[in-house]
Amino acid sequence: MKEIKILFIIAIIVLIGYWGIEPFAHHEMYGNIPEPDFKYSDLKYKLNIQGNPQEGESLFKQNCQSCHSLNAKNLKALMDKDTAQNAFNVVPPDLSNIAAIVDHHFLFNFLKNPQEATKNPKFAMPPMSQLSDKQIADIIAFLSSVAKKDISGAEVIKDGCTRCHSIKYKKITAFTKENYLKKYLGKVPPDLSLKGRSKDKEYLEAFINNPQSVLPGTSMPRLGLTEESTQKAIKYLEDIADPHKEERNKIGFWVIVYMLIGVVLTYAWKKKVWKSVK
Amino acid sequence: MRFIDWLDERLAIRKIIKITLIDYKVPKNINFLWSFGMLLVLMFAILFISGLFLLMYYKPDSKLAFDSVNKTIMMDVSFGWLFRHVHAVGASIVFLLLYIHIARGIFYGSYKAPREVVWLTGYILFILFSATAFTGYLLPWGQMSYWAAQTITTLFEKIPFIGPDLVIWIRGDYAVADSTLTRFFALHVVFLPVLIMIFMGLHLYAVRVVGSNNEDGKKIDKEKEGVPFWPVFMSKEFFVMTVFLTFFFYLVFFKFDFAMDKINFEPANPLQTPTHIYPEWYFLAYYEVLRGFFFSQNLGLIAFALSMVLIAFLPWLDKSPIVSGKYRPLFKVAFWVFVIDFLVLTILGKLPPTGIYAWIGLFASLVYFGFFISLPIIARIEKKKFRGTTDERN
Repeated sequence: MKEIKILFIIAIIVLIGYWGIEPFAHHEMYGNIPEPDFKYSDLKYKLNIQGNPQEGESLFKQNCQSCHSLNAKNLKALMDKDTAQNAFNVVPPDLSNIAAIVDHHFLFNFLKNPQEATKNPKFAMPPMSQLSDKQIADIIAFLSSVAKKDISGAEVIKDGCTRCHSIKYKKITAFTKENYLKKYLGKVPPDLSLKGRSKDKEYLEAFINNPQSVLPGTSMPRLGLTEESTQKAIKYLEDIADPHKEERNKIGFWVIVYMLIGVVLTYAWKKKVWKSVK
Repeated sequence: MRFIDWLDERLAIRKIIKITLIDYKVPKNINFLWSFGMLLVLMFAILFISGLFLLMYYKPDSKLAFDSVNKTIMMDVSFGWLFRHVHAVGASIVFLLLYIHIARGIFYGSYKAPREVVWLTGYILFILFSATAFTGYLLPWGQMSYWAAQTITTLFEKIPFIGPDLVIWIRGDYAVADSTLTRFFALHVVFLPVLIMIFMGLHLYAVRVVGSNNEDGKKIDKEKEGVPFWPVFMSKEFFVMTVFLTFFFYLVFFKFDFAMDKINFEPANPLQTPTHIYPEWYFLAYYEVLRGFFFSQNLGLIAFALSMVLIAFLPWLDKSPIVSGKYRPLFKVAFWVFVIDFLVLTILGKLPPTGIYAWIGLFASLVYFGFFISLPIIARIEKKKFRGTTDERN
């Protein structure tokens, strides 16, 4: 009984210490991470027109294809990669799945004013002020019609992140060359190989949703991802940063079982040996 | 002829087992806290073996270190992640064991005559383990590895006369750099473990000579009140070990975050200081003593150095004739205040040193030293009482 009491006291001290240096310290150091807003309710333009995908297609060809490709429809960008890089310091993304990844309300506001929507005054895309609300709605309707329905985390990352970010451990190099990225963003954006491990899930969610809210002054633009694509992207980052998680949990379970059998056996032996001690 | 007889003829194996293990009698009235010494031997063995396997893939070069740990070992090598988790969690848990082992020594008066050498070799082992942990923490070359090393080595700058030169000598450069990594590596994998093994041997030898202390702190008649180390003591030890290992492997597989800081999965970047820099949890108390005297950096440094050294002098600070804390009501109060204070310091060490935390830090630092000041006073009070009554227990 006395020994149980000692163990109990040690356990209490260890648990208080653990609480202090982990959850409590973490909370005190990093504060409350802002809730992500997947409705992008700060953006003022409302998309309430039903677009027409057929008209959207021709509008896409006239207004977007000069810089953006659309691989889903086999449409090549009129400007090649190097020229685009020279002009904008960044490779414009392929738009095949953009409507599946990005929130439509955000996309509508983005096309009207990219700098405001992304909260990045140096964002490379120019405002599409030549287009009416109806025409923008048409383009969004067209992009939705070509976008893949069930998009994977890897695809979200590829379309959303890797034109600026590399993922070294997955042998993915950013589409835009480093020297251009430096000119565009002021520095080379960090590698994403271990972000799923070096950052909390809540932080990643808030950061992707609204970079300025957790890291004021960052050159990372707001991308307007939907809640679903954000979750998928984070899941992917976590998976590649910790590829042995499943194996670890499985082996861990059996190791604990093995040790518990050891506890029973050693206890039985101890009882036997100490029987003779009086 | 049986193999054991063959060996016995040549190495006197039976005799050495009899002398070292069977004839070695330990007191009966010791609780499981006396098992922590052997737990530490076990933990050192685990760290040694897991470290050896990590060494096979680790690259001590500032350009390669981070990837060799986080890609090669953690992702590519079969079970590389397991060895790293065991090593990282083990390095953290070894300090939990050390602190419990030390606290047991303090409470039951295990540092008192004739066990001063046991206490001193133990103290040296604690310092060696700290140095090993500190040098090892730099090796993954993550953000916190780098900045913790940078911050702690900077402290030496304040040492009079030799400080600035000493810092450059330790780092091998003007800031923590590749040369620092390689020398910390050399210390971590060769020099310090060898010293630990030597002092472990001395520590165990010293215990063997003077015998284990016990709950009542009294000398025992070994024939009547002692039990053989093997198999009686060790049968209990094995039980404690399996219980401990269950806990240890639970941490290794399911709760390793506390030993593998998230920030350290960012590669070291000398140009970007993290918002919060803190040492691993086992140094937080001393770190808080350093920061506690927030109004004077020099005073903080002196306090920091003292906080790590004072404990070695326990046998001479506390000369009370009563050995075990069980029979010392005043000492008991001082002991528990000290334990709680150490816990408070540890928690504060990770919190931002501003506002109310700064003042609690100062107060807790003073209480820390208060314990060492109280010891001679308590001893004196007890000596007076002791002369009045004859205490059979001692």
